[in-house]
Amino acid sequence: MNGYGGSILRVNLTDNKLTKEPTPPELARDFIGGRGFGIYHLLREVPRGADPLGPENKLIISSGPLSGMLSAGGGKCDWTTKSPLTNGYASASMGGHFTAEMKYAGIDTIILEGISPTPVYLLIDDNKLQLLDASFLWGKGAIDAEVALKNKHGEEFQIAAIGPGGENLVPYACVNHDFGRQAGRGGVGTVMGQKKLKAIVIRGTKSVPVADAQAYRKAGIDLYRACIEAEGHDEWTRYGTTIVTSWCDEVGALPTRNFSAGSFEDGKNIYGPVMRKEIVITDKGCFGCPCPCGKYSRSRRYGTYVEGPEYETIGLMGSNLGIGDIEAVAEANRLADDLGLDSISAGNTIAWAMECYEKGMLTQEDTDGLDLRFGNIEAAFAAIKKIAYREGKLGQLLAQGVKRAAEQIGKGSDKFAIHVKGMEQSAYATHNATAMLLAYMTCDVGAHHNRSWAITYDLQVGRDKVVPEKVARIIWLQNFRPMFDVLGSCRLQWVELGIDRDLYVPLLEAVTGIHRTWEDLEAVGDRIWNLTRMYWVRENPGFGRSWDLPSPRFYEEAPKTGATAGQITNYEDVQCLLDMYYEQRGWDDNGIPTPQTLQKLNIAVQTH
Amino acid sequence: MTATVRPYGILKEYINHQNETQVAAGQTIRQAIQSFRMPPEVVALVLVNDEQQDKDYIIQDGDYIKLLAVIGGG
Repeated sequence: MNGYGGSILRVNLTDNKLTKEPTPPELARDFIGGRGFGIYHLLREVPRGADPLGPENKLIISSGPLSGMLSAGGGKCDWTTKSPLTNGYASASMGGHFTAEMKYAGIDTIILEGISPTPVYLLIDDNKLQLLDASFLWGKGAIDAEVALKNKHGEEFQIAAIGPGGENLVPYACVNHDFGRQAGRGGVGTVMGQKKLKAIVIRGTKSVPVADAQAYRKAGIDLYRACIEAEGHDEWTRYGTTIVTSWCDEVGALPTRNFSAGSFEDGKNIYGPVMRKEIVITDKGCFGCPCPCGKYSRSRRYGTYVEGPEYETIGLMGSNLGIGDIEAVAEANRLADDLGLDSISAGNTIAWAMECYEKGMLTQEDTDGLDLRFGNIEAAFAAIKKIAYREGKLGQLLAQGVKRAAEQIGKGSDKFAIHVKGMEQSAYATHNATAMLLAYMTCDVGAHHNRSWAITYDLQVGRDKVVPEKVARIIWLQNFRPMFDVLGSCRLQWVELGIDRDLYVPLLEAVTGIHRTWEDLEAVGDRIWNLTRMYWVRENPGFGRSWDLPSPRFYEEAPKTGATAGQITNYEDVQCLLDMYYEQRGWDDNGIPTPQTLQKLNIAVQTH
Repeated sequence: MTATVRPYGILKEYINHQNETQVAAGQTIRQAIQSFRMPPEVVALVLVNDEQQDKDYIIQDGDYIKLLAVIGGG
């Protein structure tokens, strides 16, 4: 099958059984790859009501037709599971080089099933497939485990590993790969830990068939050339995602002290150019990327190295913790990576605890003696470690995620637990950015930014405006942007460099032999979006409108300082946004896709 | 006493799709941006002679100023 590895690898960890089956051509036709494959298998194979940490849950890793190919940034794979953090749909996108090796080993999807009785790791060396003893790795940090496995098997193998956070079932544990790339959100590392799977080690040496080799070469080169010649290529490469830090600070979108404000008085110390000057030692790119946005950094103070920090970690482990010190942020990033924690959820949850502490809702007895004030760097480091090991009262509290921690503490702390559907909000403060707020409210994994990102659109049309055009923009982005996670190619070339998305059309056709326009792809995206919504409905009795509400902080409590001081979104506008969104999506007043909508998208049967 | 401003990508729209334009030294970058009717908040990064500056930087004679927009986010 052109553009595909051709097989699904099924790994039953309970029975130590590894089998391959062909990737069905109709699956590739209808769901294309990546997160399309993920939701297809999740709905079909994980039974309704399955415990996310039980043997019935599965972890599904999928490449796409552009993964490992001559696409600008074809290094993406999707990790889908039932989330132990939210009890809903989880899908995390991971860059690096792992997905290319999957394709070259002839594998489109790896489905991990069951629970191993003892710690193991999965070795894939082309057709050689083995589950091997991982007792020598269990307890190691994710980076240390990667080093150990590289030493054992060789540099050419790619490795995805969990850290102690995944082993200890912290519900927002991540998977680490390539010394600093992650499948970060929703607890995919937790599910891997629950399966007692420490790591996957993979190498592939086969080729992937393409429909038209000559057209493939031309389309690939055209795409590369567009990226390299794009204005801003050098600057985006130099600063990566940190280019937006100063801008977010200026417009009041930089999360500060648990999202109580959107501008940070010490923000200038954590801007991208400061980071570049102070700690970055080199650029680091994913597979086939013409604009390597990853930054490899060295902290002289702590004597450590880390890939990053990215903007998200700067926001959540910097300004949101009141820390205006780029070396400290880099070290917090390194700790989170090695311990295997999603730095977004961890930073968000610690910020909530800091606010509780400053308000007297948590005392030093609750924090195991830590002086958990905003800005206390050592306390932040200690909290990260406690979470990963579920150590002490504080570790046990925060290792639940911010929603459950706030439910345990009570005292009104849920008002400033910043999440949607139980997933901690990523690094955009949304006090007065109604499109971005709606993007978080309706994102299909919880409060995550990558499906639709619309703050610039808020600024263009008016931040506080609540109009159908904004809602339409969010829906378009939700249908369009995640298609990069279906194709297996990075979206940042389009996002950051603004290259013409139509350059992907001839490339995809040359690879697969199927002509698809972006309108065709958006239709697939719409279908996937409705399927993921139906997954939430299926798994959570009572799921509906109230699950889409944001943290009250954004409609009850205006920031006192910064660019958005005194600004807030009215609760009536929050509800109005949902009314318009549901209507435009073809969902009922409670946010459930109507039978007519499901029928139109031909997905009614697949949700049963 | 002039400096050169080079807006990238979509920001060119504000200077009639030219690659570069000249501005007077002595004003702030924010003032220069506003003189193009460019909303300051659409500019993500200001580089003056390849060093980041904020929009209140006072333009010096001979400066080369790059303006980058935020396009689609993170």
